[in-house]
Amino acid sequence: MSRQTPDLLPAADLAGEPRRRLSRIWPGWGSAKRVPLLIIGSVLGALVVLAGLLAPWITPYPQDAGAVVHPAQTLLAPSAAHWFGTDMVGRDIFTRVIFGARVSLGIVVLVLVVSAVVGLTVGLAAGFFGGWLDSVLMRVTDVFLAFPALLLSVALAAVLSPSALHAAMAIAFTWWPWYARLARGQAASIRRQGYSDAARVLGASRTRQLVRHVLPNAATPVFVQMSLDAAGIILTAATLSYLGLGAQDPTPEWGLMVAQGQPLATTAWWVITFPGFAILLTAVAFNFVGDGLQTVFDPKRGLR
Amino acid sequence: MIRVRDLQVSYGDSVVAHIPELDLAAGQVLGIAGESGSGKSQTALALMGLTRYAGGSVTGSVQLGGVELSTLTNKQWRAVRGRRMAMILQSPRASLNPTITLGALFGRTLKLHGVPRAERQARMEQALVEVVLDPQILSRYPHEVSGGQAQRFAIALVAALRVDVLIADEPTSALDVTVQSEVIDVLRGLRERHGTAIVFISHDLAVIGELADQVMVMRRGEVVEQGPTSQILHEPAQQYTRELLLAVPVIGRTR
Repeated sequence: MSRQTPDLLPAADLAGEPRRRLSRIWPGWGSAKRVPLLIIGSVLGALVVLAGLLAPWITPYPQDAGAVVHPAQTLLAPSAAHWFGTDMVGRDIFTRVIFGARVSLGIVVLVLVVSAVVGLTVGLAAGFFGGWLDSVLMRVTDVFLAFPALLLSVALAAVLSPSALHAAMAIAFTWWPWYARLARGQAASIRRQGYSDAARVLGASRTRQLVRHVLPNAATPVFVQMSLDAAGIILTAATLSYLGLGAQDPTPEWGLMVAQGQPLATTAWWVITFPGFAILLTAVAFNFVGDGLQTVFDPKRGLR
Repeated sequence: MIRVRDLQVSYGDSVVAHIPELDLAAGQVLGIAGESGSGKSQTALALMGLTRYAGGSVTGSVQLGGVELSTLTNKQWRAVRGRRMAMILQSPRASLNPTITLGALFGRTLKLHGVPRAERQARMEQALVEVVLDPQILSRYPHEVSGGQAQRFAIALVAALRVDVLIADEPTSALDVTVQSEVIDVLRGLRERHGTAIVFISHDLAVIGELADQVMVMRRGEVVEQGPTSQILHEPAQQYTRELLLAVPVIGRTR
């Protein structure tokens, strides 16, 4: 059902039957529901988010998310009492994996918000105003892009004291230039669109033109890119933790748990497996969402 | 209403439009005709005070209701655009922000120009009636309306803002012939009801002939010929005007 409606529809049609209500909240829904990847990804992603939010209530041993030691029950294999087994200090791995969703999602949100704000600001300013400001901002962006992102993150994280927050900052530091580039291209083309000019001839200031007309239209591809990037950020954060540059014990961070379990991989497989699966599942979920959104917003499908 | 003297628009060293003299009274329609690159759109841009943002410069004098526009500050200009003078553009659907409904766009524009909240709905509906649009259209997004509807919506916006001067830059060129005549009718209504002075820019002398009281023919930035519509259309003094008239397909005349 395309959104291209013929002229002067009867009122009843616009009001919509009940089953079309979702498409009134979000116009893209009509086609979103035909992209199964997006649905699967959203459901998985929602599960991860819920798990993180409800962690203290749905885990059997919430105190195990912190610095506790149970010497009597180290490295127990998965059982009814400990679904995912216990780690080398006897903490319940199921509890720690669920709590780990908080850390990973926190890092993802922080990185995305910081990079999007910085990237959009720099990119929109460069693309919209053009001229020397464009040159200066884009050369600065290019400098950041000149370094391999992971290497720069690792270097920066190594300089800062290791923690989840610093890992997030290190990632954001290398992440924003991509959004700046994307937003700049969008802003530069949208600035020349009719509705941008129309705002001006109706008395809008340049600021208003930028914020109300260029920004909302330039942001869509950036949002899609953000959802595609979420998986990458989870993996990067896990990498930093794995290298000992991110979250530190007792923080239940998945990458860190994998790193700690690695020496035991042959004797206690559960220590490394379940956090690894958590990383995989979350990364896949976000990838599905990102891919799905890209399909929905793809102009070739005639939606935008 | 509008009084132009020796207006010259230039980009670097090249002069793209030069208007020695132009007077337009309230309720009058001036047609500016010419081929692409004749300087007619540049003239419109200069009248709106936007040449600077396209990288050009303007000399000479433009007065609106006795007020000199060339010396206005940015802020003063914004109070002119959309309040005293407005412009509608060639591609009507592209002129509407695709992310918001027409109602949101309309409301925001009225709000920007200080129309109190209580008055907005009534003004919107009245203006839509004038351009023969169903108020239902306010809940639509730009991609859900036709080009003709979008252009009439743009004119409704201008009517609701009660501007003194409307500059219409090729407002019908992207539309098919039957829709063109609807838009012309709506513009005629705007002029009759509100006494809006209209600068109507088109490459099509036939369309201009339907609406304009006086015509200015431009070529390569210069005014070739200027005068009452009947004189320009029936007794053109210049060879170029005759050529433009010959370019009008007789069967294609909309009335």
